[in-house]
Amino acid sequence: MRPYLLQGHERPITVVKYNHDGDLLFSASKDQVPSMWRTENGERLGTFHGHKGTIWDLDVDRFSRWLLTASADATVKMWACETGECLQTFPHRGPVRGVAWSENNRTFATISDPFVEHNAKISIFDTESDSVDPVLEIDIPKEHGKRVNATKIWWTYLNEHLLVSFDNGVIRLYNPITGDIDDEIRAHEKKINRLQMNKDKTLFITSSADFTAKLYDAVNLQHLKTYQTDRPVNDAVISETKDHILLGGGQEAMSVTTTSGKVGKFETRFFWLVYEEEFGCVKGHFGPINALATNPNGLNYASGAEDGYVRLHFFDKSYLDMKDPVPEAEESIDGDDDDDDQKPAAADQ
Amino acid sequence: MTSIEDQLAAEAEELDGYFSDTPLEPQPNYPPLNEKFDNAIIILNLPQVPDSKLEKLTKVVMKLVSRIGNLAVNEDTGFSGVLMPFNNDKGTTEGFAFCEYETPEEAKNAIGVLDGYKFDKNHSLNVVPYPRAEKLQKMKETEFVEPERPPFVEKPNATAWLEDPSQRDQFVIRYGKETAVYWYDHKSDPVVDYAGEREKEAGVSWCEYYCHWSPKGSYLATLVPARGVILWSGSDYEKVGRFVAPDVKTVMFSPQENYLLTNNMRLDDETAIKVYHIQSGKLMRAFPLFPDNFPRGDNNNIPPPPFQWSHDDNYLARMGQDLISIYSTPTMRLLDKKSLLAEGIHEFHWSPKANVLACWSPEQSNSPAHVDLIEIPSRKKLRQKNLFNVTKCSMVWHDDGEFLAVKVTRHTKSKKTLYNNIELFRVNDPGVPVEMLDIKDAVMSLVWEPRGTRFAMIHAENPSSTKVDVSFYDMMKKVPESTISINKKGGNKKGPPQMTTVAELNKIETLEGKQCNVLFWSPAGSTILMASLGDSASGTLEFYDVNSKTLVIKEHYRANKVLWDPAGRTVATCVSQPVEGGHFKFAMDNGYILWSFQGKQLYQQSFETFYQLLWRPRENLLSKQEIKKVKKNLKNYEKQFEKADKERQRALYLEETKGKRAERKKYRDLLSQLRELRREQKRRHVELQDGYDSDDEEHYTTREMAIETILSTKEEVVL
Repeated sequence: MRPYLLQGHERPITVVKYNHDGDLLFSASKDQVPSMWRTENGERLGTFHGHKGTIWDLDVDRFSRWLLTASADATVKMWACETGECLQTFPHRGPVRGVAWSENNRTFATISDPFVEHNAKISIFDTESDSVDPVLEIDIPKEHGKRVNATKIWWTYLNEHLLVSFDNGVIRLYNPITGDIDDEIRAHEKKINRLQMNKDKTLFITSSADFTAKLYDAVNLQHLKTYQTDRPVNDAVISETKDHILLGGGQEAMSVTTTSGKVGKFETRFFWLVYEEEFGCVKGHFGPINALATNPNGLNYASGAEDGYVRLHFFDKSYLDMKDPVPEAEESIDGDDDDDDQKPAAADQ
Repeated sequence: MTSIEDQLAAEAEELDGYFSDTPLEPQPNYPPLNEKFDNAIIILNLPQVPDSKLEKLTKVVMKLVSRIGNLAVNEDTGFSGVLMPFNNDKGTTEGFAFCEYETPEEAKNAIGVLDGYKFDKNHSLNVVPYPRAEKLQKMKETEFVEPERPPFVEKPNATAWLEDPSQRDQFVIRYGKETAVYWYDHKSDPVVDYAGEREKEAGVSWCEYYCHWSPKGSYLATLVPARGVILWSGSDYEKVGRFVAPDVKTVMFSPQENYLLTNNMRLDDETAIKVYHIQSGKLMRAFPLFPDNFPRGDNNNIPPPPFQWSHDDNYLARMGQDLISIYSTPTMRLLDKKSLLAEGIHEFHWSPKANVLACWSPEQSNSPAHVDLIEIPSRKKLRQKNLFNVTKCSMVWHDDGEFLAVKVTRHTKSKKTLYNNIELFRVNDPGVPVEMLDIKDAVMSLVWEPRGTRFAMIHAENPSSTKVDVSFYDMMKKVPESTISINKKGGNKKGPPQMTTVAELNKIETLEGKQCNVLFWSPAGSTILMASLGDSASGTLEFYDVNSKTLVIKEHYRANKVLWDPAGRTVATCVSQPVEGGHFKFAMDNGYILWSFQGKQLYQQSFETFYQLLWRPRENLLSKQEIKKVKKNLKNYEKQFEKADKERQRALYLEETKGKRAERKKYRDLLSQLRELRREQKRRHVELQDGYDSDDEEHYTTREMAIETILSTKEEVVL
């Protein structure tokens, strides 16, 4: 089926995100105006005006009431989804890279880039207090004289930790009350572009500039799988309904103009979660994919790219009916020839 | 009476002052005694002549040796520099001579020149340095003890890989620091056969530069520039030979795998090119990079002329200034002691199947440009074709040596415009007839179909245009038999007329507006891959079957190499970079893709650094009759192979799914553990959300809404 082409942004897409129920899709781009779309038909419901810089990240609360947007204008704004009204502005000391609601939908955490004399920071805010100042600030010191940028932040399941990825390939667990580092792993050699958790926050996947994505057990911080590609990976998500991984990326944006569209590898690639093998891809974008999101109901997914488009893809029946290529039962050497197609066709074109 | 002592003392007193203990001044100036004799040589195997001829022989020898250097002539002793002992008992000379030079260098030089020199029909000289003869003289003669025969060491079976039960092909790839040989069955993914594990364990690398297969696939030569070339063979890739060649850059096997030629491309090395005998490991001869007096161009930009082996390993030839030097094996001496004169020669090529040379020379003062076919060793000119107004020629032999195509670029009288034509030699036909094909366009590439009589070429009106035409021609024409033997009675009424072929050039077709710059025929013929390779090209790959005229278009972006497997089933396209490194802009495209001959992608692999892929060549061991027989029984073979393929695939599939099933079980176990944990934590999570259970469906209320959309309105006037 043809995807809906959501043409609401004028600049490269930075993030796409479904709400908890999957009926709304939020998107943000470098054009400063986040949008809200109806998933069912790709209709734009509204926009949120007020930021003066690139929107790097957004998060919507469990009940789709409040949207948080993190912007390069060094603010985080809280909006009422229904009216599009800006409820609150939380100033920061540098461009804000990431924002995440906590599981109680009252507090949220942000990561901000270093700016002038300030280091990168993790800040926690309480929306119920009258002040717009953070409740807690964690300074991220320089390492070997080099500033370290955080790239993505999440709360863990019971708000016990903040899971933060960095541009030096490290992932850390911070204590949200004391600000201490509770754990640290080196996941990649190069920058981690994005870190995405599944819905019940048992797994997470990292996307890195080293051409790989890695799947981790979020409870024990154990590395499980690696997905190898031949281009930098900008975003990867775990399907909620199938054992699939979706990867997006492509030639770096800066070298895109020097290569033809065919070879930039701007496809969404589908991998078997367990077997680490690619089994299909969806073409369409003509710039590297920056953001991916799967609907929690498993019926569609959205991709946003450097080309400024969000594509909302609905899966074909053949994809939804697709079974694991490895039969459940053990087979004998001269067993019946059941036609297990090793490589089903790509989901749609 | 005074004692003797007193007398002596008195005498000494008297003489005091006349003698001194200091030595006499000045010391006599004796020349230092030279005991080394390293400026002397002994010439053996001279003719033994009687007194009457002694003078003449002395004269000849003198002339010979004095040409090389200054003889140590001593006028005081009358020594002429050469001493030829005469045996008075026998009345003849002894058959040897001493010869002394002024410097050891000259003596060394003389040995190099004279050793092995053919003095006359029956005498070829044997020259040794004098110190060696001295040493030999000092040696005590003892009973000859036959040296013990070294135990027989079986050489690894070089054809073991051909006995692979599933008849797979092999290829080697070089990437990163690795060199690995793979099995490939043309269906499933390649499997590693050997990747230098043994050497890795020993802490060395089995290849540090490029590697090469020998022409029949018996050996794999790996280059280690610090030391030289190593040959590997057999099913375990045993080291079967090592050839010293510092800084080696390229190697070349002789077609029959008897010799190996190494080249380090160094101008300052007098032995830049070395020729080794593979079985014995013996250095046969060494050459400098350029032949003597070879014109090097104005900016030294003319590349060194390459050595070329004849098809049967009997000759090794290289072009020089106005000549071709042909060395015959195993002596590695010039054939008939003289080079083949070829005035103004520009290029030559051996026929791939006979000892025939094709060479061309451009126009000289008053002789036209000409292409010659010369038979070796008789040096007989089989054919000479004169050509006029020639700017450039290039020659392409057919794989079977049956045809030779010469692409001739000509200029008009004014030398302003260039045009092409192609001269086609039928080498095996009596008199070597030549046909001329006129092409107005510029011809970029011409290739012969292996095992066929056709050729293909790329041509365009403007050589720099991106769209080109590809034309196919056949050297043989199919005609109904009846047209040849018109007077044959009857027989032609029933069934189609019998077809036969006549030697007549005919055009098959032209494909217009193609995007390609190189053509690659499949080794099996019939299929051709038209590729657009290189940095600025699109990487388009067009698989065309000339017989069925089917075309498949694929793309491998930035591909710079195309390699057919020896059977023509699979073709590899590579994006590779030079080992020397340097900045390679598109390193992320590095890798290779394997395609079936029908253009279906079979396998793809990427590497951060990828240097080389080479299919292992296979010798064609079947005779024409045997091939015919195989073709006849193809159906039976097909069944066998299909069955074997199926079984193998099934086994592979089972093996794979077994591993995958285990993986999946591991993942599922982990997932259920994690879910269990979440169930336990559920209560606390609900508490976090102020007692709201986000997974409870009851919190949702369903409302039905009717949305009316007007699709279209239409107004009609009802009368």
